[in-house]
Amino acid sequence: MQSIDDPVKDKPAPETYAPGSEVDFDRLYRNTYRRILGTLITLVRDRATAEDCAQETYERAFRKWKEWRPEASAEAWLHRIAINVAISDRRHQQLRQAGELVRRLGRPAPGPDPAMVAERSDLIKAMKRLPTRQAAALVLRHYHGYSNREIAAALGIPEQTVASRLAAARRQLQAVLRR
Amino acid sequence: MSDLERELESELHRVLDPVTAMSTIPPRRAPGRRSAVRALLGGAGAALSLKLLTGVAAAAAAVTVAGAATTGSINPADWGQQVSQHVSDCKKALADGQHGIGDCVSSFASQHGQVVASDARHHGQGSGNGDENTKGNGSSDGHGGNSNANDHARDKTKDPSTTGEREPTDPPIQTTVNVPPQR
Repeated sequence: MQSIDDPVKDKPAPETYAPGSEVDFDRLYRNTYRRILGTLITLVRDRATAEDCAQETYERAFRKWKEWRPEASAEAWLHRIAINVAISDRRHQQLRQAGELVRRLGRPAPGPDPAMVAERSDLIKAMKRLPTRQAAALVLRHYHGYSNREIAAALGIPEQTVASRLAAARRQLQAVLRR
Repeated sequence: MSDLERELESELHRVLDPVTAMSTIPPRRAPGRRSAVRALLGGAGAALSLKLLTGVAAAAAAVTVAGAATTGSINPADWGQQVSQHVSDCKKALADGQHGIGDCVSSFASQHGQVVASDARHHGQGSGNGDENTKGNGSSDGHGGNSNANDHARDKTKDPSTTGEREPTDPPIQTTVNVPPQR
């Protein structure tokens, strides 16, 4: 049912889903949640926000689930939504900072969390300073292993734009890491 | 693949693999359920709500001040009673076939404003024990200058556009002002 123009050979065969089926959407959620969360962790400021954005992503996706076309990769479609959610989140970041503070009041101090390692990594910090779409292109390419064509299909942009976005992102990242 | 790309890949895997491997998948949030903080702070709807609430608060404050200036009391029940009493008096005073109680009601407001203002001055010069919450006729320092009711009542007497050309003792029914019939 699903087809990808330029599949990466190491990837398992993509699962098939029926648009509008709630059972299939739940399966899609279980299959993709971790990867979507991984992407969001590199785009938004912390783990809690990434989890919130991930839930927002699936909420938005569920509302449009009947309209999803099986010809497109479901995970790429989710990534596109997730990136838009992350962009909105960055726009509302100042308001959210106050909200997060309220949410965390009274909570016990958290134990060691791998996400904290991610938040402390210089590379992840540098990625968070990139424009969201550039950072997203880097994660899709270098973490999820998408080809440029797959990224283009996921984000709904020309392949050439993906290439220039990746090049710009690498240049900026290099500049930030050298400082 | 450049050094940077290799470094990028290995670093992303080093950092994100444990995160995605360890995460227990939380239950999917039901559509329409947003966290309280997000609902309060996020989105254009929240900004609109905030503006709306601010507008309502400002309008309520304006009504309070206007009412206090007119009736000398911040208790809305007092204004309501006094104003409706006066409106019905004005209606009774109209002869058959005549319309227009605007001047009559307006004269009541102006008259009352003057009474409140002079009352406030009188209390302000005295012991300074005015009850500014209910009467608006004096601050606790005895100068009678801090009450909203005082300020507005005084403004009305000073401003010729509101009271200067239309004294409260004017005959109320002489002018022909078209006011829609009261229901």
